Amino acid sequence: MDPFQFLPAWPLAVPPLAWVAVLLLAAILAGEAVRRYLRVSRIVGYLAVGALLGPSVGGVVDSGTVGQLRIFVDIAVGMLLFELGQRIDLSWLRRNPSLLAASVLEAALTFVLVYLAMSWFGMRPVTATAAGLLAVATSPAVVMTVIKDLRAQGQVTERVMLFTALNTAYAVIGLSLMVGWLHFESERTLATKVLHPLYLVGGSLALAGLIAVVMLSLLRLFGRRPAFQFSATVALVLLTVAAATMLKLSVPLALLLLGVFGRLFDRERHFVSLKFGETAMLFIVLLFALTGASLDFTGWTAALPVAAAFIVARLVGKTLPILLLANASGLALRKSALVGLALTPMSGLSLLILHELLLRSPPLAGEIGAAMFLTITVLAFAGPLATEFALRRATEAAEETR
Amino acid sequence: MEFGASKALTMGIELELQILNRRDCDLTLGAADLIRVVERTGHPGDIKPEITESMIEISTGIHERYDTALAELRAIRDALVAAAEKLNLLVAGGGAHPFQRWNERQIFDKPRFRQISALYGYLAKQFTIFGQHVHIGCPDGDTAMYLTHAMSRYIPHFIALAASSPYHQGTDTSFDSSRLNAVYAFPLSGRAPVLDRWDDFVAYFEKMRRAKVVESMKDFYWDIRPKPEFGTIEVRVFDTPLTVDKAAALAAYVQALARYLLIERPVAIQEDMYLAYTYNRFQACRFGLEGLMIDPTTHEHRPLHEDIVATVAQLAIHADELESAAALRLISGWASGRANDASWMRGHFERSESLADLMWQTSQLWSGSL
Repeated sequence: MDPFQFLPAWPLAVPPLAWVAVLLLAAILAGEAVRRYLRVSRIVGYLAVGALLGPSVGGVVDSGTVGQLRIFVDIAVGMLLFELGQRIDLSWLRRNPSLLAASVLEAALTFVLVYLAMSWFGMRPVTATAAGLLAVATSPAVVMTVIKDLRAQGQVTERVMLFTALNTAYAVIGLSLMVGWLHFESERTLATKVLHPLYLVGGSLALAGLIAVVMLSLLRLFGRRPAFQFSATVALVLLTVAAATMLKLSVPLALLLLGVFGRLFDRERHFVSLKFGETAMLFIVLLFALTGASLDFTGWTAALPVAAAFIVARLVGKTLPILLLANASGLALRKSALVGLALTPMSGLSLLILHELLLRSPPLAGEIGAAMFLTITVLAFAGPLATEFALRRATEAAEETR
Repeated sequence: MEFGASKALTMGIELELQILNRRDCDLTLGAADLIRVVERTGHPGDIKPEITESMIEISTGIHERYDTALAELRAIRDALVAAAEKLNLLVAGGGAHPFQRWNERQIFDKPRFRQISALYGYLAKQFTIFGQHVHIGCPDGDTAMYLTHAMSRYIPHFIALAASSPYHQGTDTSFDSSRLNAVYAFPLSGRAPVLDRWDDFVAYFEKMRRAKVVESMKDFYWDIRPKPEFGTIEVRVFDTPLTVDKAAALAAYVQALARYLLIERPVAIQEDMYLAYTYNRFQACRFGLEGLMIDPTTHEHRPLHEDIVATVAQLAIHADELESAAALRLISGWASGRANDASWMRGHFERSESLADLMWQTSQLWSGSL
């Protein structure tokens, strides 16, 4: 008889939940620390903690736990995409057509330059195409988090949001088509080639439009209490993610469009200032901590030249067209350069898409894997710093308030 | 300090405008970028930055006639609206933004603005309010001093007609012009001292300057002040109206009053002119055209709208001479209909219950497309 059987067995079995708590607390602390002592974006702190505790380095948080926490990532990315969609105004492209030209050229040149650079390093066309498409998208999550954190407003901020939304849309459409293309490689017909993009875009439009109508009727029914709005919007964002996945539509595209329609259908501007201020913080912290945890730090030295070429080609591809169209679009050269720089963050979506691509087509993995993971890691840290630097230099960041 | 004479009864108009984003119609940073675009395309008049990045000031040249002033204002407006469209911004009139938070404003990067901000602290940012200034040319300093004081009787008219700031920080203030409450928080606001000769005024100003109360005329935030470098008096109590058409009509009203006062010289300058001044001014800010007005000479009480209609009737011959009868008919119509911009704004908000939508409508009204 053990009189102390009510005590836990030694050594203690630490449930995974405890590590999630540690991850969250450490990330928040690191975020505040880098903000206070290094005066840089909190995102860098979240990422660093995630990377240190994640499977690749510390191994405290294993990939199983990361998988379980995917729901938080989905909510965070979903909310940020929705908010980005809500903040952009597509009619601006009509009033200032140079912006549409700059956006298309920015995406096209980025794709072409990265494609050429990767081909030069001996990648097969299909691999280089994937790399080029991944380079097109700017991270909506990083851009939105930095903008909200700095309470930035002004021309540079507006343009960064517009270009981010558009290049994300181009990239996800391109990548979805490519995934489909690889998937159906054997039974590819003209019909699938034409119908797949139509289904992808048309379906996402219809789904987003439908949910936007539901969202606005609900908000109208329940009034304008911010706490209610937050929960209702989270629910509908999740519904959009679920429905788009189920229907094999594009999740990011549907979420962006949900935001765009949500604003468009709100005729009397009751819900335009729908904001996910402090409540959304938890999701954002976990998003970046888990992104950090999924970064890969193996095989760095070999991949270094490829990654460097990728990053330079991408920066030139994004900045040059915006600079060329600076005057036509009505913004000074200096500020236009800052817009280009602020588009540096590479999408965490690309990480997911990359994993998906590698699963679908294992031969791609060897060629694209290490270099892309290194690029993503470098840009994960450099991206938020670049965006923050650009917005501060454009004097569009609000003064720090305590 | 020399009074730089100008042609009598000429007029010039300055308007401070709001720069809004197109999403939720809150004030946004954009003055520098907007000015850059509009300067490249070219425009009549003058377009300048103001104390915060959310404000811009337009001004006309010197006009003798109401119709040319109106035409110039419309042309400046069109140039500004076109530039704003290109930058995804909105421009709007109105004396104050209904729901902006003052601590989010950013001071325009210019030494004088930074000094003011350092001196007045939160007042400088709360000063994100928007007014119309009307200049009237005077041939000499003594005339300017007479006009400064004789015009004071009509200050409540100007306030009530132009009032367009009923909402502040997200609530209905119950004032038609809440903007002036922000002005009166400044230590050097109010009215000029009762002096009717320019030399006496210069002596007063020099005393104030030696005592280091002020550095320049710019430090006086009076309702009406002489502006020696332009050779004008400047009426500063108007909220920026919601349309340029109203701005031009108000300027024509001031011009006609100036002609009446200078030709008929109906009053003598004395301290008693200001007996009911702050009372009348409060009534006009609070109740608009429904406010009560006490005549400083007869001590008679009557509603402001009646006093305005009676005054316009009195000005008929002067309006004919200045060819601004059309403008004065508008003024009289607004008064008798008891319709100012504040009542238009309240009516709109009652229907839509959205201050963001109110500002959207306001910007559409400003651009002339409503």
